[in-house]
Amino acid sequence: MAEAVRSRALRTVAGRAVYFDDEGFFWDPDDWTEAAAEELARESGMTRLDDLRWRVIRFLRSYYLYHGRAPLNRELKAGTELSLLELERLFPDGIKLGARRLAGLPNPRTCLD
Amino acid sequence: MTERIVYLDNAATTFPKPPGVLQGMVETYARIGVSPGRGNHDLATQAGDLVDATRARVARFFGAPDPTRVIFGANATDALNTVIGGLVRPGDHVVATRLDHNSVLRPLHHLAGTGVITWDLAPFDDGGFVDPDAVAALLRPNTRAVVMTHASNVLGTVQPVAEIARRCAERGVPLVVDAAQSAGLVPIDMAALGISAVAFTGHKSLYGPSGIGGLVVMPGLDVATTRFGGTGMDSTSLTHSQSWPLRLEAGTLNLMGVIGLSLGMDFVERQGVEALHAREMALLARLRDGLSGHPGITLHGARDAGADPARHVPVLSVNVAGIHPQDVGAILDGDFGIAVRVGVHCAPLVHRDLGTADRGAVRFSLGAFTTAEEIDLAIAAMHVIAGTVSS
Repeated sequence: MAEAVRSRALRTVAGRAVYFDDEGFFWDPDDWTEAAAEELARESGMTRLDDLRWRVIRFLRSYYLYHGRAPLNRELKAGTELSLLELERLFPDGIKLGARRLAGLPNPRTCLD
Repeated sequence: MTERIVYLDNAATTFPKPPGVLQGMVETYARIGVSPGRGNHDLATQAGDLVDATRARVARFFGAPDPTRVIFGANATDALNTVIGGLVRPGDHVVATRLDHNSVLRPLHHLAGTGVITWDLAPFDDGGFVDPDAVAALLRPNTRAVVMTHASNVLGTVQPVAEIARRCAERGVPLVVDAAQSAGLVPIDMAALGISAVAFTGHKSLYGPSGIGGLVVMPGLDVATTRFGGTGMDSTSLTHSQSWPLRLEAGTLNLMGVIGLSLGMDFVERQGVEALHAREMALLARLRDGLSGHPGITLHGARDAGADPARHVPVLSVNVAGIHPQDVGAILDGDFGIAVRVGVHCAPLVHRDLGTADRGAVRFSLGAFTTAEEIDLAIAAMHVIAGTVSS
């Protein structure tokens, strides 16, 4: 019986070769750059990351870098001043695969790995 | 979001605990919180008496004749490891099901991977049930046991363990039942059903704390010692005690957990298993009916839960089209104050067969304190989420 193993792959984004996991999350959050976020956003169908989306991404990153984890749901809501439904709509791939992934946070693979 | 949490993650652990359980645990532990059965002071004797009384209560609850064959452990996973490890020998064959939790699958996978056993998995049908004949077809001359869940933690379906036990008995194979999701919701009479061993946990529908569970073994089933240590008996010997229950218990028991388990079972027995189940299944039917009409919401299992509630526990897993289950869970929590469980629920093969293994699903699971108002809030929230995302 096959065992699911999290895999990573090297790819070049915004001119830098970095590892991503099998859902497109940065393997190492330190590899994240603004240019990479912009390129990933274009891949998701966004022409550019506007101020509102950058506000969300910057909140996620600053929270993560300070606390060492992603914000709680209620903290995300308070910190972005958006409901989670609004956040879901703001990014074509939603909260997890959109906002969180573009912000370079680790993949929250709760009960999936 | 409201400050009030609508807790619909009772299949993970029931919350809150009934009034009196936590307070009773603290009060009793403050009074006799010593090492039970060790030494000859009165406190140790009183603590030992409480443990023995709880063993007797557990034995009665599961229709087992011998309280000394009630083994306390940390949880159902711990108990399953104890019974699986104590049953199998090199060359044995074991049957489980694709409905099983990793608490069954992983010990067996490990044993198979290390060459100790071979194993086969019985499938489940479109309704989420294992066919007893499918289990029987997998039995071999060297099958040491059938180990399987009583109630799926993803689909909520209660498996026909009596029929499966009959087929096992015809072949002299013991049936070990994982009752993590059923104990306290579905009556389990081991003697009547023909079950050889039951693994249970205290913190789900028995309304105790986490960290306590156990194994109930019927007479005639030999489970070898796989962990060794102090038992408070036969202490001059370097050989681990072979009397029940000590043969399968090593080290000081979780007395606080045993106290809480007993108090939780007080609650269950006062309410009545059937009454708890009937009330929660009525609410589950309300939830299922409220979600089933929405084109953006896919329901897994519970198809005939209304028509045949006796074959279900109050668990419903769903997916919303176009939105990751983890996002659904986050929105339910952050925007609506509703706590659910997302992911594959430690039951990867169920999700593989449902086609949801990559992202999992959103699981609603009800408890004794779930209300109709809360179910209506969950339905309304899901309609908003499904409508918003698909619009």
